[in-house]
Amino acid sequence: MDPITSYLGIACLLFTIGGIGLCLRRNAIVLFMCVEMMLNAVNLAFVAFSKIHGNLDGQVAVFFVMVIAAAESAIGLAIILSVFRSVASIETTDAAELKW
Amino acid sequence: MVELLILLLKVFLVMNLALVLGSTCTWLERKGSALIQDRVGANRAGAFIYSENRFVNILLVPLRMAGWLGLINTLLCDSLKGIAKEDFIPEGSSKFLHAMAPVVAVLPIMLAFAVLPLAPDFYAWGHLVHARVAPIDAGILFVLAMGSVAVYGIALAGWTGNNKFSILGSLRAVAQMISYELPMGLVFVSLIVIYGSLDVYTMVEKQQELLWGVVPAWGVVYQPVGFVVLLLAGMAETKRGPFDLPEAESELTAGYFTEYSGMKFLLFWLGEFCEIALFALLLALLFFGGWDIPWVTLPEGVWWAALIGHAVLMAKVIFFCVLQIVIRWTLPRFRYDQLMNLGWKMLLPVALVNLVITAVAKVLL
Amino acid sequence: MSFMEFVLAAIGIASAVGVVGFRNPLSSAFSLILHLLAIAGLYALLGAHFLAVSQVVVYAGAIMVLVLFVLMLLNLKSESGRRIGIVRSALTVGIGLVIFLSISAPMLAQFADLPQATLEQNMKASEGGVKAIGELLYSQYMVQFELSSLVLLVGVVGAVMLAKRKNVQLMPREGGMGGVK
Repeated sequence: MDPITSYLGIACLLFTIGGIGLCLRRNAIVLFMCVEMMLNAVNLAFVAFSKIHGNLDGQVAVFFVMVIAAAESAIGLAIILSVFRSVASIETTDAAELKW
Repeated sequence: MVELLILLLKVFLVMNLALVLGSTCTWLERKGSALIQDRVGANRAGAFIYSENRFVNILLVPLRMAGWLGLINTLLCDSLKGIAKEDFIPEGSSKFLHAMAPVVAVLPIMLAFAVLPLAPDFYAWGHLVHARVAPIDAGILFVLAMGSVAVYGIALAGWTGNNKFSILGSLRAVAQMISYELPMGLVFVSLIVIYGSLDVYTMVEKQQELLWGVVPAWGVVYQPVGFVVLLLAGMAETKRGPFDLPEAESELTAGYFTEYSGMKFLLFWLGEFCEIALFALLLALLFFGGWDIPWVTLPEGVWWAALIGHAVLMAKVIFFCVLQIVIRWTLPRFRYDQLMNLGWKMLLPVALVNLVITAVAKVLL
Repeated sequence: MSFMEFVLAAIGIASAVGVVGFRNPLSSAFSLILHLLAIAGLYALLGAHFLAVSQVVVYAGAIMVLVLFVLMLLNLKSESGRRIGIVRSALTVGIGLVIFLSISAPMLAQFADLPQATLEQNMKASEGGVKAIGELLYSQYMVQFELSSLVLLVGVVGAVMLAKRKNVQLMPREGGMGGVK
């Protein structure tokens, strides 16, 4: 396995670690951070692919993913703040019931 | 062998700038503030060294003069006092993070010196020497990145202090730093638009010419508004001058510094003065032509031209360090909401409009 | 793999496990910052210099500061309540392992036998300098670029509208600037 494809293996490993974290943790901010980690793993795979194929389209895709991740983080954390104001906790098990 | 010598030269230049100038700024601050406030300042330590032997007494004269100026007091005694103090780690917080906070605050500032050129390129022993440590092509963006990472040291310092003053001070300091990164970034983008490259060396090279044969094509001629915005934003970013609410002693009992004593506090302090030197270097390189003497052209690639250029650059850097120290001790502090208003409602629109005008002018002219 | 690549990959994987594993969400956040810096280093080693610096500025310098702000303002403690049982954790990790094998095996098998010469040539051609990415962004991906700026605008407006308190009017105060005109 030459060095470039080992990057793909690392990206897959980071993606699954993020996915495992998403299933195991209950804190909303840690869930958000696991999603960011999965996005980073995909970015790494994109850059590795761009190196394999020899053009820069992968890196431009990473640029756009970063922009979207920035916008998504702002809105996601604002949502977490709103939920915290009404439920007073950010564990997902505490906000699992609809208001009656 | 030659590469090793060139590497040692670069290490010497950067260490000179970052550490020696940073420490000298502490002395400049002490004596300069004393002069501004019409008092004498530190002049006791080492000023009365006397020896019975007449020959040794004459040799001790420069030491006595240094002591009279306060150099021994600031450079030697403060460091020894800092090392000897009790190192206090507040309970209830992570010891590791508390110890790492000064490192995380200071390391990016030292790293940012890596991409800034300190002298024109010259030929030595057959090799072309680039007088910067890391000639990457995203030069200025790296400085911005290091400014962004330095925020975490402040956040860690406040959080591991485990008391209200620390957390409030660090939240204020973090908010201030990230707010003033925006006008700074926009001024950098305007400079990139004018000079067409992110590399700081190319920017300084292009400032060596003369505009219309008379005026040196310095950055301050192209971007006077950008210079003022960068001056203000940089002083707020380094939490200096009238923007030092998060760390002032009369507010919030020293803010995020509260739980630090001894050498860690001195490391924060040294990091702040290295940041002064970094910011002065940025101003000198980007806006005042770097190593350019206005109407004098020196031959390129010669080692003595590089030496003269480096000396001129150091003179400009020291001028800007002294300027920052004088501004700090002259102006009163901003209130926190005034500070945030200045950053968001004044500097950011001004920097945006400056960028638009620069881009339009660049396209039309 | 060179030494630097190995070190950065090890730091990246270790800090990723740290994000998932730490009880305290603040330690998870600092672990994620370390992870982002390690991934930025990997980008730089892969030749994507602009992306490496962008990653530090955007991800590690802005997004994580936002996360840290929220964590500090909400003053969160570690996770309370029932811890997830050991059986559940082992099952999750096992399924994760299966997923990892199923996504990595075909990917690695497909790229395992690239001829070395084209690999070298492609590596030279994809040096991600600022100029090269800029030319591509503004010519071929212009529409996406403009749309992404629209997405950022929506993000800013949405975040402000969601996060402000409902009984506060966002109006300028009288004389609130206090001398700063």
